[in-house]
Amino acid sequence: MIDIEHVTKRYGSKTILHDISFNVNKGEIVGFLGPNGAGKTTTMRMIAGFTAATTGTVRVAGFDMATDNQLAAEHIGYLPEQPPLYDVLDVTDYLTFVARAKQIPAVQRASQLDRVIHACRLESVTRKEIYKLSKGFRQRVGLAQALLGDPDVLLLDEPTAGLDPGQIQETREVIREVGKNHAVLLSTHILPEVTLICQRVAIINHGRILATGSPQGLQRAAEETSSVLLEASGDPDQLKRALSDTDGVTAVSLRPVASRAGFYSIDCQVDTQEQVESRIARAVISCGELFRLERQQPTLENVFLRYIGHTNEHSNGASA
Amino acid sequence: MNAWIGLKAVYDKEMLTYFRSPIAYFVIAVFLLGTGYFFTYNIFLTGVGTMDQTLQNMGILLITLSPVLTMRLFSAEYNGRTMELLMTLPLRTWQVVLGKYFGAVSMLVLMTAASCINLIPLYLYGNPQTLNIVAGYIGFILLGMACIGIGQFFSALTENQIVAALITIPTLLGFWFVGHLQSLQSSLLLRDLFAHLSFALHYGDFIHGLLRSEAITYFLVVAAVALTLNNSYLQWRR
Repeated sequence: MIDIEHVTKRYGSKTILHDISFNVNKGEIVGFLGPNGAGKTTTMRMIAGFTAATTGTVRVAGFDMATDNQLAAEHIGYLPEQPPLYDVLDVTDYLTFVARAKQIPAVQRASQLDRVIHACRLESVTRKEIYKLSKGFRQRVGLAQALLGDPDVLLLDEPTAGLDPGQIQETREVIREVGKNHAVLLSTHILPEVTLICQRVAIINHGRILATGSPQGLQRAAEETSSVLLEASGDPDQLKRALSDTDGVTAVSLRPVASRAGFYSIDCQVDTQEQVESRIARAVISCGELFRLERQQPTLENVFLRYIGHTNEHSNGASA
Repeated sequence: MNAWIGLKAVYDKEMLTYFRSPIAYFVIAVFLLGTGYFFTYNIFLTGVGTMDQTLQNMGILLITLSPVLTMRLFSAEYNGRTMELLMTLPLRTWQVVLGKYFGAVSMLVLMTAASCINLIPLYLYGNPQTLNIVAGYIGFILLGMACIGIGQFFSALTENQIVAALITIPTLLGFWFVGHLQSLQSSLLLRDLFAHLSFALHYGDFIHGLLRSEAITYFLVVAAVALTLNNSYLQWRR
């Protein structure tokens, strides 16, 4: 449904996107993952037809966005990064405007409105002016607008940004439901989001697609972050020796905790995929006391690097 | 038919926006206060029972007030990030441009109609020339249509509503006063050019009861050129 081929986007002398290519098929939710400023929003805008590609072709539902963006627009539901809302209108008036602009026939309008209001759980605010709504509701009104007309292609630019955990859960449910028979491209900088709801992921950074593939690879990469942090008490030399001898630990750095005498904060570099945490715990307990142990949370950057390593090794489905 | 639905959707959205925010009420109130004052001054204080001078003053009031009406047309869409929606919905740019334009013109017609309340005492206590007044009001609407076209175009150029208004006002004043340059020119060509460009001179025809096709065409052409520029600019922005 979405085909991007060798697309470059330049603003003046600045190149935002470098020769990117990827596609999204019907019935597929593709996660578009990258840090802020990577080019996600620019790509989204290009697919939505808000800006044009400098070179290369963008096709949506078979229409070339350079020439037939008007025809393609009938097949696109787009939620921009900042939901495009008219603050002075109430939710129903706003959605009615969008429904009419999307040329939804008058007889279907009421049922379409009901459908998206229900899907986005907006029943309680239908007659409220948009400026009175909380951020979560605003985001969901934006999503409702995108869902109107049942478009084949759904573009969601950071759809869960600014929502509370409950709302995030609900929004993901809505997206998962829609993804069953639509092509959904969802941009995010949150790692777990793609692993939870996407069938495929495209990683973008500095305007280049670094890799595309399954979120399982991403999951593996995330689990393999190479550092375990612990806090323990005991003889520092013994602790260090015990940890260094542990299978899978490559380096140990140990420093005293300033606020608590006899306590040490230890950073273990590990190189294995297996459960190294339990071996580390046993090693510490053999010569001291363990107070805290945690696998360091993966940062987007180091997951990128690891994930790219993976796709190169296995080269399964990688088409960067 | 489809083209009409999209245009009507934009138009209705515009009208709703006008009346759900203070702008419409502000503009109408200031306009009515202004015309009321001019009317009282020109008719009751001078005792002349024609609308000529009042319509003349209303023209200048319109030049300074119409930018308040038009400044938000596109600037507010950029600012509220709703332009992204308008440009990605299955709407053609001209539908957006005309929907907004007709919305603003409707506001103009509405406030012009409201100002007709001034005519009641004129007809009660005087013996005005109806044809002159009708021609004057037609001219007023046409002048407004040209002003709104220009204001809307400038609003599309900037995210900042104030900047949009600040470019529009001097431009409109320029169009209004350009006729005065006539007398300073010796070249016949320039004199003609300035006369043809002048809002005030063309509007004057209407006030004096003349419905000249040249004057009517002039205001419509100015509006059409501004709207075409507006449309092309939005397409180019993509």
